[in-house]
Amino acid sequence: MKITRTKAFKVFFTPIWESNPVSGQILGICSALAVTVQLKTAIVMGLALTFVLAFSNLSISLMRNLIPRNIRIIIELTVIATLVIFADQVLKAFLYDISKQLSIFVGLIITNCIILGRAETYALGNPPFLSLLDGIGNGLGYSQILITVAVLRELLGAGKLFGFQVIPDAFYAAGYVNMGFMVLAPGAFIAIGLIVWVQKTVSKE
Amino acid sequence: MSSYLRSIIFAAVLTVICGSLLTLASTGLKEYQLKNIALDKQKNILKSVGLIHDKKPLSLDTIDKLYAENIKQVWVDVSGKIIPEQNKSQDDLPVYLYVIQNNIQSYIIPVDSRGLWGRILGYLAIKNDGTTVSGFTVYSHSETPGLGGEIEKGWFQKNFSGKKILDDRGNFVSVAIAKGLVKDKIHDTRQKNVVDGISGATLTGKFLSAGLKRTLIQYEPLSKKFRNNQIK
Repeated sequence: MKITRTKAFKVFFTPIWESNPVSGQILGICSALAVTVQLKTAIVMGLALTFVLAFSNLSISLMRNLIPRNIRIIIELTVIATLVIFADQVLKAFLYDISKQLSIFVGLIITNCIILGRAETYALGNPPFLSLLDGIGNGLGYSQILITVAVLRELLGAGKLFGFQVIPDAFYAAGYVNMGFMVLAPGAFIAIGLIVWVQKTVSKE
Repeated sequence: MSSYLRSIIFAAVLTVICGSLLTLASTGLKEYQLKNIALDKQKNILKSVGLIHDKKPLSLDTIDKLYAENIKQVWVDVSGKIIPEQNKSQDDLPVYLYVIQNNIQSYIIPVDSRGLWGRILGYLAIKNDGTTVSGFTVYSHSETPGLGGEIEKGWFQKNFSGKKILDDRGNFVSVAIAKGLVKDKIHDTRQKNVVDGISGATLTGKFLSAGLKRTLIQYEPLSKKFRNNQIK
């Protein structure tokens, strides 16, 4: 069997493009607007979310036959909250500046609909390996959108990427002006809107 | 076993496991976090006197070195006298000095103000004339991101440099945060004592203005000494 036909492959790749959590299912928009002014914060946020999502999916899937149905949401949230606090502590210890810029948005991963959504709809009913792949796939799908939006916003809004000037001074001398609008939240709305539009058009065919 | 009991036991076991994991992580990483916080304070002190800027990322060693070379921590008593660390008594206030070749360039006052949601901690640096603000930084706050949280941003903080804590007649007035833009809201003669406010964060500005005033009053004896050239 070709690798592209296996279930694992599908579980991993569908959320990256076809049913992307942000542009396909319009989940997790809040943080996608908030942390995409710079590429650096977007990447760290994407990694933090992928980490939380992968391990919450894995641990919930491992416990799926033990979790009492009536308290399953509470259990899921406990697992997610533990992972998020852990990720936050690690960021505070090793990437202090970025953790300061992300401020409350790392903590808000707890309420990100993508994570609870995957735990409820996927991890509770599927084996650990597939759940892990599903978690990583969705995490990367989310990161992919965040990074695309951040590239657009940092490049158009500040003329920089990773904080380095990319647009040459000659452009500014010739009258080019940074689009201040892209730095503000509405800029992110428009960027995400365009991505959703492109994605819907492409995947229809 | 009844399903209730099962739920309770499951929840209890999971909570204990998660709790212990987090305790482990928190104690294990504490040392690194505290180091980061201490370093961040040093960075803010250096920033308040303009020795480093937001733009350039600096290595830990450079910051350590810059701090050790330029900044000295001392204490002041109620009369405004500077006291070295070993002689300090309980009522003395901490102050940092920016010294170049034994000349004090500016003195840096730790600011601990009330905010809308919690404490605002930062530094206010004043030049050796005892009047002109050289810079202001915030290293810890819990204001709303995007609104009051803007106090930690460069555009807000850079408005402080060059402002005066005295009015035209030489009376102490502190620096305040305007409701709106200074050039629209504040009378010409008062403009040098006020900085632009943040829209949507009037209360944060109000609390911070009060906090700055309270802090500056405490340090007024020291500022007076600087104004009268009693300290070099």
